[in-house]
Amino acid sequence: MWGDTLLIVFISICTALLGEGLTWLMVYRTERYQKLKAEVEKQSKRLEKRKETHGDTLDKQQKKKIEREEDRLKQNNRDLSFVKMKSMFAIGFAFTALLSMFNNIFDGRVVARLPFLPLTWIQGLSHRNLPGDDYYDCSFIFLYILCTMSIRQNIQKLLGFAPSRAASKQGNSLFGPAPGQFK
Amino acid sequence: MSTKTKSGERNGSVKTVELSVWSRAFTANSEWPDKEEFLDVIYWARQILGIILGIIWGIVPLKGFLGLALFVLINAGVIYFYFSSFQNVDEEEYDGAWELTKEGFMTSFAGFMVTWIIIYSGLYYSGDEDL
Repeated sequence: MWGDTLLIVFISICTALLGEGLTWLMVYRTERYQKLKAEVEKQSKRLEKRKETHGDTLDKQQKKKIEREEDRLKQNNRDLSFVKMKSMFAIGFAFTALLSMFNNIFDGRVVARLPFLPLTWIQGLSHRNLPGDDYYDCSFIFLYILCTMSIRQNIQKLLGFAPSRAASKQGNSLFGPAPGQFK
Repeated sequence: MSTKTKSGERNGSVKTVELSVWSRAFTANSEWPDKEEFLDVIYWARQILGIILGIIWGIVPLKGFLGLALFVLINAGVIYFYFSSFQNVDEEEYDGAWELTKEGFMTSFAGFMVTWIIIYSGLYYSGDEDL
């Protein structure tokens, strides 16, 4: 069973690298992206500092300034997401094709044995396309998703492509609120 | 996590010797002027811890809900101990203990699951395989 599991880890490392490589080609290396990213980071840090010092103030002028900066940051974040969107669609399509190919290769194959019984709503994923009712059996897709969750983010962080914490804390992206906003 | 060892010649005037991130991470009560740096230390410590726990859980082998619950407890506990007792950082600077406790948790959890599943199935389930 090592063979299949290690192959899946290898596949997800390759797809993560491929995804980041493609994004670099289409987005990260463009001047527009770099400019916007630097701007968003600078603004987020400035805003955070301003909020720290004037956060509880009742001074209307300061409040207005904070609001104005927040709006500007939101606008920049929106632009940044828009720049990213093009490549995200391209990568999305490529990966859907790749995933269906791997799904076919591993169709009906138990790739691992789970040391726990997954929750009912996860069983659909962990037992996808597998014969029998033994829910301890693990399908390709479940292990692949777990691998991707850990490997992709770590690779992004290692390569320095992950969005900075200040930016993701302060800004709204096009795709919903950033983590850490609901405190 | 970049290993910056500045010898103090930046800007030509500053002569203080800054310790590298590595040595500060292993030294109690270190100074963390850059918040991002400390959060990175927490993040990577968590990833390594997740993989180590995954290997141990797979070899033992720990199974079921107990394995998951123990992982969450130990992972959160060790990190909490690290920043509150070992490094003694001011939690409020980082928007509270909760922010630090959840830094990189999901990625660490995924890494833990992958290693746990791989080691467990490799060691205890190879015999049945003829697929």
